[in-house]
Amino acid sequence: MAPPAQSSRYPSPSQPSGKGEVSDLRLQLRQLAGSRAPGVDDSKRELFKKVISYMTIGIDVSSLFGEMVMCSVTPDIVLKKMCYLYVGNYAKVNPDLALLTINFLQRDCKDQDPMIRGLALRSLSSLRVANLVEYLVGPLGSGLKDNNAYVRTVAVMGAVKLYHISASTCIDADFPATLKHLMLNDSDSQVVVNCLFALQEIWNSESSKSEEATREKEGLISKPFIYYLLNRLREFNEWGQCLVLELVAKYVPSDTNENFDIMNLLEDRLQHANGAVVLATIKVFLQLTLSMADVHQEVYERIKAPLLTLVSSGSPEQSYAVLSHLHLLVMRAPYIFASDYKHFYCQYNEPSYVKKLKLEMLTAVANESNTYEIVTELCEYAANVDVPIARESIRAVGKIALQQYDVNAIVDRLLQFLEMEKDYVTAEALVLVKDLLRKYPQWSHDCIAVVGNISSKNVQEPKAKAALIWMLGEYAQDMDDAPYILESLVENWEEDAPEVRLHLLTAIMKCFFRRPPETQKALGIALAAGVADFHQDVHDRALFYYRLLQYDVSSAERVVNPPKQAVSVFADTQSNEIKDRIFDEFNSLSVVYQKPSYMFTDKDHRGPFEFSDEIGNLTVGVESEHEVPATSVDANETSDLLLSTTEKEETRAMVANGSDYTAPLYDSSSRALPSQGQSELAITSLLGTSDPGPQASMAIDDLLMGLDLTAPPAPASAPPSLKLNARAALDAGSFQRKWRELPVAISQECELSSQGAAALTSAQALLQHMQGNSIQCIASGGQSPNFKFFFFAQKAEEPSVFLVECKINTSTAKAQLNIKAEDQSTSHEFSALFQSALSRFGMS
Amino acid sequence: MPVAASAIYFLNLRGDVLINRLYRDDVGGNMVDAFRMHIMQTKELGTCPVRQIGGCSFFYMRISNVYIVIVVSSNANVACAFKFVVEAVALFKSYFGGAFDEDAIRNNFVLIYELLDEIMDFGYPQNLSPEILKLYITQEGVRSPFSSKKPVPNATLQVTGAVGWRREGLAYKKNEVFLDIVESVNLLMSSKGSVLRCDVTGKILMKCFLSGMPDLKLGLNDKIGLEKESQLKNRPTKRYHGKTIELDDVTFHQCVNLTRFNSEKTVSFVPPDGEFELMKYRITEGVNLPFRVLPTIKELGRTRMEVNVKVKSVFGAKMFALGVVIKIPVPKQTAKTSFQVTSGRAKYNASIDCLVWKIRKFPGQTEPTLSAEIELISTIAEKKSWTRPPIQMEFQVPMFTASGLRVRFLKVWEKSGYNTVEWVRYITKAGSYEVRC
Repeated sequence: MAPPAQSSRYPSPSQPSGKGEVSDLRLQLRQLAGSRAPGVDDSKRELFKKVISYMTIGIDVSSLFGEMVMCSVTPDIVLKKMCYLYVGNYAKVNPDLALLTINFLQRDCKDQDPMIRGLALRSLSSLRVANLVEYLVGPLGSGLKDNNAYVRTVAVMGAVKLYHISASTCIDADFPATLKHLMLNDSDSQVVVNCLFALQEIWNSESSKSEEATREKEGLISKPFIYYLLNRLREFNEWGQCLVLELVAKYVPSDTNENFDIMNLLEDRLQHANGAVVLATIKVFLQLTLSMADVHQEVYERIKAPLLTLVSSGSPEQSYAVLSHLHLLVMRAPYIFASDYKHFYCQYNEPSYVKKLKLEMLTAVANESNTYEIVTELCEYAANVDVPIARESIRAVGKIALQQYDVNAIVDRLLQFLEMEKDYVTAEALVLVKDLLRKYPQWSHDCIAVVGNISSKNVQEPKAKAALIWMLGEYAQDMDDAPYILESLVENWEEDAPEVRLHLLTAIMKCFFRRPPETQKALGIALAAGVADFHQDVHDRALFYYRLLQYDVSSAERVVNPPKQAVSVFADTQSNEIKDRIFDEFNSLSVVYQKPSYMFTDKDHRGPFEFSDEIGNLTVGVESEHEVPATSVDANETSDLLLSTTEKEETRAMVANGSDYTAPLYDSSSRALPSQGQSELAITSLLGTSDPGPQASMAIDDLLMGLDLTAPPAPASAPPSLKLNARAALDAGSFQRKWRELPVAISQECELSSQGAAALTSAQALLQHMQGNSIQCIASGGQSPNFKFFFFAQKAEEPSVFLVECKINTSTAKAQLNIKAEDQSTSHEFSALFQSALSRFGMS
Repeated sequence: MPVAASAIYFLNLRGDVLINRLYRDDVGGNMVDAFRMHIMQTKELGTCPVRQIGGCSFFYMRISNVYIVIVVSSNANVACAFKFVVEAVALFKSYFGGAFDEDAIRNNFVLIYELLDEIMDFGYPQNLSPEILKLYITQEGVRSPFSSKKPVPNATLQVTGAVGWRREGLAYKKNEVFLDIVESVNLLMSSKGSVLRCDVTGKILMKCFLSGMPDLKLGLNDKIGLEKESQLKNRPTKRYHGKTIELDDVTFHQCVNLTRFNSEKTVSFVPPDGEFELMKYRITEGVNLPFRVLPTIKELGRTRMEVNVKVKSVFGAKMFALGVVIKIPVPKQTAKTSFQVTSGRAKYNASIDCLVWKIRKFPGQTEPTLSAEIELISTIAEKKSWTRPPIQMEFQVPMFTASGLRVRFLKVWEKSGYNTVEWVRYITKAGSYEVRC
């Protein structure tokens, strides 16, 4: 059905500026308002369409409110609908003008055409203006009694809308009671369903205030009411059935006969074409039989076929929703789909979110009888073009291997992966082989032979590298060149991730206990590098090992390399309680997110991310912006604890010196110094200790050499701090003179944080902030959004000064800096310091 | 609460809002910005159709070049929400006459706003059935408001009548019923020729032009139905010697009397007027594959490949398949291809890295072949071996059902006792028909 010709090619205004068009429209609307010429409705319709299309793309057309209302006096139903839409959209922001519409809406509520009555009533209740509710109660009341079902369905929803605008008005008008009466007696099924929607909402929120509402709410799942709904179930449309079934799932029958009656009644719903109805029915079945173990199992058998149909029919998004539920079920009853595993084979063109869930299903349904086929199929995916899926499938193979007792064949497959020479395949397989060896140490011989052939240069991913290193350490005695591989890894210490460095330290320790002469050099280098490491954990672990060795070598071995027991079960990530809660919330988002609803609907459990209408500029970086100040504050506090008060000034300079992201770096620099001293102490005392055994003493001597060689460069990596004089002074005259004399050392643009830009309402705020960072202001001016400042600062030890011209635009959150320095060599340092001080503005 | 949708948005691929409808106040107005910022403009797009941002959950679906986004703030029913979107799109399509894309939305946005008001109120789904909605939201009504006034009171009664899907008082000069069994075969075959996975999803589509309130009864050659019938009549099946089919699962249109299906195993119904989907079924056992594909791919050194594909049609010799397309994957660095086919035409399509072999009319019991030589650009960087995607096939075979399902009878009763003409057709299409090579 094509739209009318003249309107069909309606050019969407790509980006109209708005104002000109809106005033144009206003003129045209005014001309048409009083006209009674034939065909005037057609032109009105065109204009209204234009207004609505502007509204849709976000142009503010609320200024046309008056004209729109004037034009809406018409018998044309389409015009009315457009006008209602417009009014509904803008009434909230124009409560005064909304009053204008009350009159014609109330008149339309009494129209002889039920269609118009319904539409007008819907618009009237959608105005969402609190002080207009008095005009709503009357029409709603008569709407609920209307002899036309369409008007009644609209009126029922209107009552909930009223409740949300003004709960007391709704209760005072006794609408809940009227709704209840309708729900139990109305002949029209949609009216009944809407009443149920409405009363659930109203009583849910009222139940916290009044006991009567709580009783009413419980009444919804009472036996007579549930039976009433079940008897009328077939009249309801599919959505209504979903609602009723949801309610039935909450009902607790008094005896088992009742259970079976309900299930027999609902069994045909499993054949319904609408997947949502089928899922809702399944929920009822599962909930009703929770306490009857054997029937519960039969239910699983019964729902299998409909669920598998749902997976393969419908859009991928629907399959995704259903597969999430299947996954939940299969975790509770792994055997149910064991013979239907072929349904979870991936198709080439499926979206990856479906494939991912199918892989999880394949992992979950694997048992003795089907493992071979499933693993064969998963291995096909390992060569998939879609890399994330290939990775997932290798992980799936690993998980199956960890579940099964007969791992023989699977280990072979995993080892084949290692030989495929694809980076990501190797990486994933290494991680798996590691987990496998922790559970089945008896396979070490076969695995190590293959792992030994992998060049560590081909392994880049931290996780995989860590796994490889773990194996090198654990099986050092079986791999001839383990110490040498580890040694070469230590040489590239800086390039690896902290996770890898941690593993490297431990692996070298283990290796050292087994093959001391070959490893001692590497151990020395590793410990030295570890002690000087910026990463807190790495640093601590290195120091810990060092002191352990110093204390007693044999105890160190007992701590680092005790005899291990094979891991029998890897820890489950979710507790049973949480799993049960998710199961109770079957057929909802909880299942998709795999967490109970309180975790994502309660405010406390949400992440730091929140929307705010005022800020409006949602950036991806919001979270990190929140994080940064937190860590830098931490750093400040810890250093305060470490250093005496006289040093605080310095610390501040150093904090300021770091840019946004140097919090950990700064942290270690303040700590490296004392600990370095300590470790040297440790070494000297170590020299004095009696007999650590000939082998170990040789090793530790060498260790020392390693440390001595590497120790000196470590302090150099601490940032040389530029300290500023907190009480610098400079008069305006000499500032101007120096500004004229000195060349511009650095000219650059930097960014303010969005909070900073927001906080910069007056120049004064920034002045105080910069003063706190030992940067003084000599002149400032301008008003939002453009500010201009002249700052100066002085070095702590010498009178050399820095001058800064700073122009800030708060709307773009950018600052233009021109820095001049008497001592040109430190100008870059000062610039960094200045920028970090500026970027922290507004955060504290 | 099944769904209390707070808002629904229609966006184009750039993220411009085509239509927005806010149903509830519990989410902010900048939801669409959040969707653009955190889903559309990141790699996350397409990795998951349900996402949570802040306190809201977003369900989104892409349909041609449009994203439909539903925003909810509570623990909503996902399956219901997606089904709602699917049904809504079907409704829009039936109004626009087929296509649902950005242009169609822009051309019909007033109509869509009207429909959005009717199909959902305050976030709760209402009536989505096109048959009913078309009675009172009509394009005709747009043209001449006065003439549409008459049927309106009647229509609103219809919205919620007892037989919601059929109007009373229909009259046709010629009473006709069309019934199509449409099956799609899904196949996954290993490179060694063994069937890894195979199933058939079928649907029975009907088009009814019948007067009054007819009662229809459909008999199929499915196992349970036949057994039940012989049980009821207390004698052996009425000399039905054909194959009997075991249906794994069946779902029906709401018009089918499910109680009767469960007790008597017959499909009886009062049909809606016009076109509708009567039932859907799924079969995994005893599927007749219409085609066998036998590929041999040899990689000769680093720059040459030889591809031989033989496709065998295994249905009756008197039948033929239409629109057969076989897509044979080749590596990305293909430089030159040369091929011979014994039937149809083949072409190298670089954009999908496939040899596309098309055979317009493919008779049964034949086996055309394609043999191709492929030259590759030699690259040093590409050390990895080529991972072969599966060969994919498209086809339609009229008068053939992969499941073997047949209509045994279709009876129409109406109290006036008119004669009806029944038309039954069968067709099998390729679903995802993949052969690894």
